[in-house]
Amino acid sequence: MMIKTLDLTKTYQVGSSEVTALDKVSFEVREESFTAIVGPSGAGKSTLLNLVGLNDHPTSGKILIDNADASQFSAGERRKIRLSRMGFVFQTFNLIPTLSAVENVELPMALAKKSRKEQREAAARLLETVGLSHRLKHRPKELSIGEMQRVSIARALANDPEIVIADEPTGELDAKTAKEIITLLFEVNRKEKKTIVVATHDEKVVEVADTVYAIQDGKLRLEGQR
Amino acid sequence: MALAATLVIAVGATTMRYTTVVKEMSVLFHGQVMVTSKDAIVVQAIPIFGGMLPQNFTIKELEGIAGIEKVTPVLFVTNTTFSGLASMPVNFSMGIPVEDWPAVLGPTPLKGSSGHFPTNESNNEVVVGASMADQYNWMVGSRIVLNERELTIVGVLDTKMALLNRCIIMPLKLAQAVHNNVGNVNIVAVKPVQGYSQGNLTFAIKGKINYVKALTEEERNDVVQPIIAQIESWNVGMQTIILCMSLILVMMVTVMSVSERRRDFATLDAIGAPLHYVFSVVILETSLIGVFGALIGIGFGSLVALLIASIYTNIPLALFFPSVFEIVPPLYMVQMFVAIVFVCCIGGIVPALNATRMHVAEVLRAEY
Repeated sequence: MMIKTLDLTKTYQVGSSEVTALDKVSFEVREESFTAIVGPSGAGKSTLLNLVGLNDHPTSGKILIDNADASQFSAGERRKIRLSRMGFVFQTFNLIPTLSAVENVELPMALAKKSRKEQREAAARLLETVGLSHRLKHRPKELSIGEMQRVSIARALANDPEIVIADEPTGELDAKTAKEIITLLFEVNRKEKKTIVVATHDEKVVEVADTVYAIQDGKLRLEGQR
Repeated sequence: MALAATLVIAVGATTMRYTTVVKEMSVLFHGQVMVTSKDAIVVQAIPIFGGMLPQNFTIKELEGIAGIEKVTPVLFVTNTTFSGLASMPVNFSMGIPVEDWPAVLGPTPLKGSSGHFPTNESNNEVVVGASMADQYNWMVGSRIVLNERELTIVGVLDTKMALLNRCIIMPLKLAQAVHNNVGNVNIVAVKPVQGYSQGNLTFAIKGKINYVKALTEEERNDVVQPIIAQIESWNVGMQTIILCMSLILVMMVTVMSVSERRRDFATLDAIGAPLHYVFSVVILETSLIGVFGALIGIGFGSLVALLIASIYTNIPLALFFPSVFEIVPPLYMVQMFVAIVFVCCIGGIVPALNATRMHVAEVLRAEY
């Protein structure tokens, strides 16, 4: 999947004043690349990821998914793309607390109407990939935060998406666990050939990324490319 | 929800039981004009209060009126005892000439093969309702004492009718002797000749005998029907209010629950869950609240209805358990189950719509 943005702008109304979260952002995510977007809190990283993840609508500008204008997609088409072609990893993991690890991973597959057997097998395999084959039946509150983020990554990969969008995936983690998660995302990129887009202020992510963008006050600039 | 269901079932079943008992009374004296003392208060076919009629004199007066096929004198006595909370009649006595029993009671067989109906000449033989026989462990051959007179049970009535189940039925002369009313009755059932209207007959009776009141079957029903209709309307109204309050409560609780889990619903939205899936998750939750609430409520409500019946009739609770489906009819249980689950589904609509409007970008922005 190739994602391209053209003059993407997003403004919010805060009280009587207007806040520009993104200001004419144009960038491209190449297929099978590992792209990092770095910047301080409030710089507009999450806003940008929500837009490219089709979770939000821009105030102006365009998002092109495989050269198709995303603004032309219906709500149902956007959902379908999010479900089958994109995977999401959140800073706070956003696992469903009442479901076990394996059920959390099965959820996107159930939504995509995959067979029960297929769900069970794929979820077990994905949790094994992220090193949690011994934690299948545990609920999120019974897992460490590192394990929760691993489950979150396994869930993001459930429907074999083309791109994984991760918003501050190491933001809640200690240094050691953060390194493990970065390594895991890197392996997903290299071994599974998934495109990874990570919003972060973690320097360790920058070290492994192919392309690094810096964002400040809603303005994006290319920082480096391998 | 369970509490609401308990209330609905308990109050509804109790009300239904007593209206059913009153409605059942219309079976007695079917097709006949009922003559009572002018000052008697009559519920359906039963004089619950009022004076006596001189048996022979009244019958003689009636026999002079055209259009009468048969006259049946009856003595009906309500044996009310006030002990503890029991304020309902504990049992009834009915004295009827033996040959007229089928005409008054309808086809009412006896339980088992050992019993028989008393004869007019018997001076101590009675039949009793099954409920009383169960309560006091009576059987054919048991001896009971009523108004200091020893009587022998020669049969147990096999009937579903609540009134007859609590009745001691005996030959008229014996009833008059037992209740110190020799020569008196409080009901005279008058059967009109075929083709002769009950209305004309009551008109003729009231015209000739000035100390009686004569009621056609329709008039007897007319007295009670509006009261029953009002009680039933009150019952439906109360159920509606309870269910509406439950609906609001379920809606408010679910709105709060959805609001507390906004991140979960936003996550479902982010990973591409269809709107109908998010909607159905909430509706399923409220439906389950309804299913479990209804099941618990039907169980507890039935128990409370039995308890109320037990307290008001002074019959031990255990004796009501085998007849739980007579007090709380299965159809009523099913109706209430469906109504409660339906109310919960409706109560889930607003929170379900709220859940579908939760988007990850807004929820996460609100959280940080």
